Amino acid sequence: MAPHTPQRSERPGEAEALLDAADLIALEGVGKRYRTASGDVDAVRDVSLRVAEGEFCTIIGPSGCGKSTLLGMLGGLVAPDTGQVLIAGRPVAGPDPRRAATVFQDPGLFPWRSALENIAFGLEIQGVAAARRRAAAHELLGPLGLRAFADKYPRELSGGMRQRVAIGRALAIDAPIILMDEPFGALDEQTRTLMGEWLLDIWRRTGRTVIFVTHSLHEALALSTRVVVMTARPGRIKSVVELPMPYPRAMESPELVTLRAKLWSEIRDESLRAMQP
Amino acid sequence: MSVALVRLGLLAALLAAWEIAARAGNPALYVPPSAALPALGALLALRSYPTLPAHFLLTLREVVAAYALAVAAGLAVGFGLGLNRTLGRAYGPILAALYAVPAVVWYPSLMLFFGLDAASKIAFGFLLGFFPITLAVLAGMRQVSAHLVTVARAFGAGPVTVFVKVMLPGMLFTLVGGLRTGLALSVIGVIVGEILGSKAGMGSLITHAYGLLRTADYVALVVVTLALIVGCDGAASLLERRAARWTA
Ligand SMILES: Nc1ncnc2c1ncn2[C@@H]1O[C@H](COP(=O)(O)OP(=O)(O)OP(=O)(O)O)[C@@H](O)[C@H]1O
Ligand SMILES: [Mg+2]
Repeated sequence: MAPHTPQRSERPGEAEALLDAADLIALEGVGKRYRTASGDVDAVRDVSLRVAEGEFCTIIGPSGCGKSTLLGMLGGLVAPDTGQVLIAGRPVAGPDPRRAATVFQDPGLFPWRSALENIAFGLEIQGVAAARRRAAAHELLGPLGLRAFADKYPRELSGGMRQRVAIGRALAIDAPIILMDEPFGALDEQTRTLMGEWLLDIWRRTGRTVIFVTHSLHEALALSTRVVVMTARPGRIKSVVELPMPYPRAMESPELVTLRAKLWSEIRDESLRAMQP
Repeated sequence: MSVALVRLGLLAALLAAWEIAARAGNPALYVPPSAALPALGALLALRSYPTLPAHFLLTLREVVAAYALAVAAGLAVGFGLGLNRTLGRAYGPILAALYAVPAVVWYPSLMLFFGLDAASKIAFGFLLGFFPITLAVLAGMRQVSAHLVTVARAFGAGPVTVFVKVMLPGMLFTLVGGLRTGLALSVIGVIVGEILGSKAGMGSLITHAYGLLRTADYVALVVVTLALIVGCDGAASLLERRAARWTA
């Protein structure tokens, strides 16, 4: 497909995405089927979703419903079998750190790099000079609570610290979109809450767009502008809940308590379905 | 410190046992250290074998040539097979099977092919060093975490960057281990080649002394050859430690 054909408007989805500049991300009828030796797995089926610039969009759903797969498609690491993924109106053809940075579910730190060097990895790939990328990585250490651990190697860090290094590595490259796959999954409750507040602060100050996967309803309600609930595999969108309340949120407010109950019952149904043979 | 002491103690015990055993038997055949030491002195003073430096240097040169070829070919074949799935599937198992064949069976044909001079020694040293290096590259590449490669790609790394920043560091330990084994085997190949048939080099001196039943000189020559081997291995282990510090 030639990128500059004027007949573009023949494809309604793409034309819309081009016209509506606020929609930074558009998933259109996206599906993914993994072909393995032991049979095919329908991971994601017919997912359509638009995310405006500056949103904090949380995806929640039972284990194995295709959340990581969806993030992989947004990050250009997984090619969809059907539909298309558009960022700023252009189809995602492969990983592009200028558009999106990923915090992986498995932190995936490089064992031969110190915490600081891991955080600076993306900048190194982009060819940023050593002194500048060290300085940039250093600045992140404080808020990540890793100041005393800059020169430690991953095996010398706790699970939660490793996850924070992975978050720092994604934040360091200043991409407009941050894809976070259960970034606080390995953290204890307190650190989790603090990191959530910190992330919220960064998000509000920098106006980045966050796509966030979590299993924690509390986290979803405290942080997101929108929660997307996915069905059991093959993952489809079950419901979308808007959360226009201001931050910081009073989690005990009747509004949020009602929403929480609604989300919980939906996720419960899907999780039960996911566990059926 | 304590490691050095233990080693020294072991060496002393071995020498003592050797001395006692040799004296109990025939001292002309079983050279005791008390006789080998003067022979070693004579050898190093270039009295027993005045051409020793030339032979030593020849062996060293053969080792360097054999090892350089083994490293170049081992890395090329290893990465070639490792990066190309089809080639790897086709040739990897054959390579592993060939490695299991005692290499000495190839030596007669190498001598027929390359003659009695340095070329056949280099070829044999190469052959022995080549396999562990190639197989270490293949094993190392299999070790590299696919997830880390994905992470690097997500941050914009292309194939070359992935290779340099993820594959190489991820496999360095195994690779360096293979390089070290390869060096030891290249040295062994060259010296065994010289012992089996040659006109020059440490191996030929050893065969000469042994053939004339100059057992004390023979032992002294073996000691000098051992020093060469230990020196090579020491250099390799230094490299290995540096790699360990870098990847740790
Ligand atoms: N590379 C792959 N090859 C084959 N199957 C895969 C692959 N990746 C994921 N799957 C399958 O696709 C489905 C969705 O996986 P995915 O990791 O996207 O789920 P998830 O929603 O992130 O789960 P979790 O909450 O447990 O992290 C699963 O059934 C999984 O087994
Ligand atoms: Mg997942």
